[in-house]
Amino acid sequence: MSAPIIDVRNIEKYFYTPEELKALNRVSCTVDPGEVVVIIGPSGSGKSTFLRCLNRLEYADAGEIIIDGINILDPKCNINAIRAEVGMVFQSFNLFPHKTVLENLTMAQMTVRGRSKKEAEDKAMVLLKKVGIADKFAAKPDQISGGQQQRVAIARSLAMNPKIMLFDEPTSALDPEMVGEVLDVMKTLAREGMTMVVVTHEMGFAREVADRVLFMDKGEILEQGPPSHFFTNPVHERTKEFLSQIL
Amino acid sequence: MSSYTGLDGPKSKHYYRIWGATFLFGLCLAMGLLYYATIQVEYTWRWNRVPQYFFYENTVEIRTNIEGEISNIQKTSGQATVTIQGNGEEESHIVPVQNLLLGQGDYVYPGDTLGTYKHWKIGILIEGLLLTLEVSCLAIIFGILIGLFTGLARIADNPILRWSAIVYIEIIRGSPLLVQIFLWYFVVGTVINTMLAQYGLSQVPPLWFGVMALAIFTGAYTAEIVRAGIQSVHRGQMEAARSLGMNYAQAMRKVILPQALRRILPPLAGQFISLVKDSSLLGVISIRELTKATREVVTSSLQPFEIWIVCAILYLLLTFTLSMFVQYLERKAI
Repeated sequence: MSAPIIDVRNIEKYFYTPEELKALNRVSCTVDPGEVVVIIGPSGSGKSTFLRCLNRLEYADAGEIIIDGINILDPKCNINAIRAEVGMVFQSFNLFPHKTVLENLTMAQMTVRGRSKKEAEDKAMVLLKKVGIADKFAAKPDQISGGQQQRVAIARSLAMNPKIMLFDEPTSALDPEMVGEVLDVMKTLAREGMTMVVVTHEMGFAREVADRVLFMDKGEILEQGPPSHFFTNPVHERTKEFLSQIL
Repeated sequence: MSSYTGLDGPKSKHYYRIWGATFLFGLCLAMGLLYYATIQVEYTWRWNRVPQYFFYENTVEIRTNIEGEISNIQKTSGQATVTIQGNGEEESHIVPVQNLLLGQGDYVYPGDTLGTYKHWKIGILIEGLLLTLEVSCLAIIFGILIGLFTGLARIADNPILRWSAIVYIEIIRGSPLLVQIFLWYFVVGTVINTMLAQYGLSQVPPLWFGVMALAIFTGAYTAEIVRAGIQSVHRGQMEAARSLGMNYAQAMRKVILPQALRRILPPLAGQFISLVKDSSLLGVISIRELTKATREVVTSSLQPFEIWIVCAILYLLLTFTLSMFVQYLERKAI
């Protein structure tokens, strides 16, 4: 395997409101190109914070985060260029409500990638077809269902041709019947070799798609391993306890 | 309809009729009482004398400039071209035929009246209204620009931008508009115009100090409205835009501001309606806007009741139009 595309070394993150909280405590981890890593853990374990540090939506207070060879904690790095290479999908979709589905997909392509309108729209339509909602291209986000919105959000990130995709609990805000359609899109992506880091509570997805599962608790990675091993033979007591509660 | 439909049971058919009729009755009663009161103080209403302050027919006398004899009068379809010759000079005037006072062969001296004609002119109230409109429009445009910039500066990370915005907003909001107008005119105006005079340049008219006073005043309030609008847009919108690689300015321009402006249209409308009304203070620095024009008319006509009521209605016309325009924008934006 080539060099890791994500290399995180001993990062720490503090929150000061309302009181000092160590959200991440010397977390280290690497992700290889094409790998699918699923992060699970109880709420407040720091898994979302960790994910948000990877594209600097949260600025880690210590350590190093090297994305594709560039240390993003270096103040001199061009973070916008790196973010364009790292797609992110949010729990609450965060589509732009004043724009149509198509415009949601073309806006960043045109402003950041400098593509022409024609080029951006062609790319957008290909991706909308891929996620199965090409017929909704003219709709506003509030006119389509949650599952459709999340698929648009995934397509919006993919339109930038990212090297890495981050998923922050992408199915947690969805009605149960819509979870499947979003997971299907993510499975297709994984099969196509996209590097993915996924924070989720969907154990079925983790078991089926993940190359590696990380278990986080209290700002630390307690245990990691392939899903076959992780779900059947967890080593750590806390992992066993967590798994027994959710499975 | 109520904002809480369904929380109380449906109203009876007569409910709306009875209370609607009561409202109309109350309205008529108030107007009747006002009329009765004016009769008690023996005020004579003369509404027929109001229109002349909107439009009036002005009579202009056509006078000669030279001495000589009227050599020729050529009449064509109601107009007469009168030619005067004398001492080797010649001049001609156009006079309406029915108002012609002199005939061919008459000898005239400079300043004699050949005839008169009438034309319509706009009255002082319309002049005042137009000036109020002009001042308000200019102040609204500058107010939006100042407010937008200051609103963005108010939430910036950079201390000089943020502190400057806070100082500006607090100072402007903390002092009366009338005092600010005096400061602009008597302090800033005097300094600027004296300096311009020293360099032999032309003076800045009071209008512009009035516009600046209003724009700076409104800008401070607009800035707070803009800030509140920006902060009301969900944090996730900025995160989504930035996570796609847009920089702060791009995300602000394309994602945050369009959503924020839509939400702040109602409070902005209120602010600009206030501005139109506040322009009535500019009379104190010799800008003859609607209120000052009204005061002048009242002084000369001695009809305060009619003229002040008309003045109020004219302001209402401006503010109501503005309010309708913003409501139209709101509907269009959704």
